[in-house]
Amino acid sequence: MENKIILKKVNNIFKDVLDDKKIKINEKTTASDVQDWDSLTHIQLVVAIEKFFKIKFTSSELIKFKNVGDMVSAISEKLK
Amino acid sequence: MKKGDKFKNNFKVSRKIYDEFKMLSNDKNPLHTNRAFAKKYGFSGKVMHGNILGAFISYFVGEMLPAKNVVLLSQELNFLNPVYLNNTLSFEATVVDFYKSVSVYEFKLTFKKKGEKIIASGKVRIKVLG
Repeated sequence: MENKIILKKVNNIFKDVLDDKKIKINEKTTASDVQDWDSLTHIQLVVAIEKFFKIKFTSSELIKFKNVGDMVSAISEKLK
Repeated sequence: MKKGDKFKNNFKVSRKIYDEFKMLSNDKNPLHTNRAFAKKYGFSGKVMHGNILGAFISYFVGEMLPAKNVVLLSQELNFLNPVYLNNTLSFEATVVDFYKSVSVYEFKLTFKKKGEKIIASGKVRIKVLG
């Protein structure tokens, strides 16, 4: 699956979890760019993403993500 | 804990629980407090508040799991059949998923009445802290 499509699907997950249809993330987006993206929300996002894409991250992988782009690349790798 | 692990308990919706929940919630809707009103709408008696089951789920999360360092993340409950005063419900929770990266467990839940009639079903997600 192309990164562009993954990003779109991740954006939809953000909209759903954060209950905000106006959210627009990009590959450079970090938690500080999105209101309400705090520690508990982050957990909900990770669970929703893992469930949607039917993948599993490790905690060490999660720590390395600096932005949404890193997560999208990791999702892409896991879907291969 | 691992996928497939089950947790079971029986919960009785006693007079004490009904009275205390009614006071706590301040929900005195006639469906819950007036027998004639409830019977008019096809129920056999006063219908117990659905969220009494939510309180039982709170007990499950806080007291039945092997770890105490847990926090509730989400809860979903579908009410399928009414509960009446002094009904005893058999509760079962099954681990259906584990998100290791964030230490989150997902459970499928069921409440059943004697004779295996399903009263409610749902799911809950909890995070193990630390």
